[in-house]
Amino acid sequence: MSGLLKFTSLLDAGATKLGRASAWLMVALILVIMTDVTLRHWFVIGSTKLQELEWHLHGALFLLALGWAYTRDAHVRIELASERFSTRTKAWVELLGCCLFLLPYVAAVVWFGIDYVGYSLEYDEASPSATGLPHRWIIKAAIPLGFLTLGMAALSKLINASVFLFGTQEQARETSFGSPLNSAGGKND
Amino acid sequence: MISFVEFLPFLMFLTLVPLLFSGFPIAFVLGGTGLAFWGLAVLIGLENPNSFFLVVSRIFGGVVNKQLLVAIPMFIFMGTMMEKSGIARDLLNTLQLMTRRIPGGLALSVTLLGAILAATTGIIGASVVMMTLMALPVMLERSYDKPLATGTIAASGTLGILLPPSIMLVVMADLLGTSAGGLFLAAVVPSLMLAAFYLVYIFARTSLNPSLAPPMQDEEIESPLTAGMVLKSFVPPLLLITAVLGSIFGGIATPTEASGVGAFGALLLARLRGELRFTILRDVVERSTLTTTMLFGLFIGATAFSYVFALLGGHDQILHIIQSTGTGGWTVLLILMIAVFLLGFFFDWIEITLIILPVFAPIIAHLDFGGHLPDPGLTTMWFAILMAVNLQTSFLTPPFGFALFYMKGAAADLVDLRDIYKGIIPFVLLQLLGLLAILMWPEIALWLPTVAK
Repeated sequence: MSGLLKFTSLLDAGATKLGRASAWLMVALILVIMTDVTLRHWFVIGSTKLQELEWHLHGALFLLALGWAYTRDAHVRIELASERFSTRTKAWVELLGCCLFLLPYVAAVVWFGIDYVGYSLEYDEASPSATGLPHRWIIKAAIPLGFLTLGMAALSKLINASVFLFGTQEQARETSFGSPLNSAGGKND
Repeated sequence: MISFVEFLPFLMFLTLVPLLFSGFPIAFVLGGTGLAFWGLAVLIGLENPNSFFLVVSRIFGGVVNKQLLVAIPMFIFMGTMMEKSGIARDLLNTLQLMTRRIPGGLALSVTLLGAILAATTGIIGASVVMMTLMALPVMLERSYDKPLATGTIAASGTLGILLPPSIMLVVMADLLGTSAGGLFLAAVVPSLMLAAFYLVYIFARTSLNPSLAPPMQDEEIESPLTAGMVLKSFVPPLLLITAVLGSIFGGIATPTEASGVGAFGALLLARLRGELRFTILRDVVERSTLTTTMLFGLFIGATAFSYVFALLGGHDQILHIIQSTGTGGWTVLLILMIAVFLLGFFFDWIEITLIILPVFAPIIAHLDFGGHLPDPGLTTMWFAILMAVNLQTSFLTPPFGFALFYMKGAAADLVDLRDIYKGIIPFVLLQLLGLLAILMWPEIALWLPTVAK
């Protein structure tokens, strides 16, 4: 059992590392926009490449952080009814939600997403604009990759919820539902 | 009787609602429900088993590959940076000193601050929590009337979704296929009008009954107001916001460019204050990324949901119903407004906008209001502003106002829910007055964009 929980912290750590790294794209994005604005307005050099780079960075930023945001409980929930649920009920919601909604959704997006990227790679699809960025498959690959991290975070949550619900009391305490520190994530934290 | 297949898109919504209240993240409920109904359509032979590919392509084309949406993380970063580097707190302190001789000065300061700052936070939950934590303890310490204090904070905190640069207006512009700069312009007069309503109300109430909001005693003032303080804490953020909005309105910069400059400006302000330590920067970068990801995770889920809704023929059916029953523009508008108002009790604007707007976007521009609008081409703009004011009002309306719960959560034992309810009623009435005015005189919203052209 403790091996299983160790595995979940590995999954969480993977999603967290990638998400926290992608957060720094925020600074890169600010610098790219500043460069673009400076060149465009003071030197009258418009760059399609820089403008496309902006949404590339933005896309990568939120896609690669999808899994991390789930481990941090940042995805918004309607807590009107659920705030009165016991921790056990909450664990059930998480367990069923992951099995019935999140994991199938992740699987479908990853499955068809790989096709989608493969198609783009096959033709080495580039920007429709002649002066745009080449190799569009790179940013497209962020969709299945980001959803993969979401799947990792979901699998971890699923295992944690199962151990909490069906394990011994001692095992339950070691899950993310067992410690008040992890279960009490506010919406905006 | 309609057949089962025709009923499917409506069944999607009926399934969605109870699931949303399970407390599972909305983004995943939306995506999962979309997938389930797509699977059902494949099972009964309505869809081919490869068409989910189109959903992925829609996620790329509709959410990732969008220049305008880049403005959202930038505005979130700008707001978070101003909050975490203490710019917001200084602004409140200075405002408070500037208005200390005026009855209700602190309440007036909070309104002004709400108007200035909530504009950059963009999420109701977050801005109301921030304002409650920052201003409520100070107001209560100065023995302000509890209902007055809470009403002021809740109303001003929610004004931010309307006041440009509003993230909500960026999302609406994208979904409705209109210009974000245009919506920003259209929102200026309505949001200033509402802020003015608040100010006049607070000033009138506290002038008549000064005990509701005792002015600051001279001995309480630790440091007198100096020109240096105003220059240091008040002028820079105000200049920044004016520059960002000015360059959009002046047509000098796109919203995306202006948002990037605004984010850079916030970084610069933090640096000038000596607050730009690595830990603060990392905190701001990570927080704003989490907020951005929450929003775009929801955007992706809603895209999957509404794309499957369209695949199942939902849009055509709604169009068909409206056309075949001969429902006029006013009736459609009224139904939508009531629906949005009721949804606002339970959901933040993000969910409402992302779920409802894609369904109705195709028909809004074609609604006919006769000669009520100066130009039928402005219907979308007028509708967006009405929806924004309506949502803001809905967040404030007891007993279920979304913002009120957030406020109670942040204030904990400082105030009763009853004080909050009592305090918000006058503000809700002011909101309704504003909403009615914009309904009756569309020029309030449409005048500025027309003259700016």
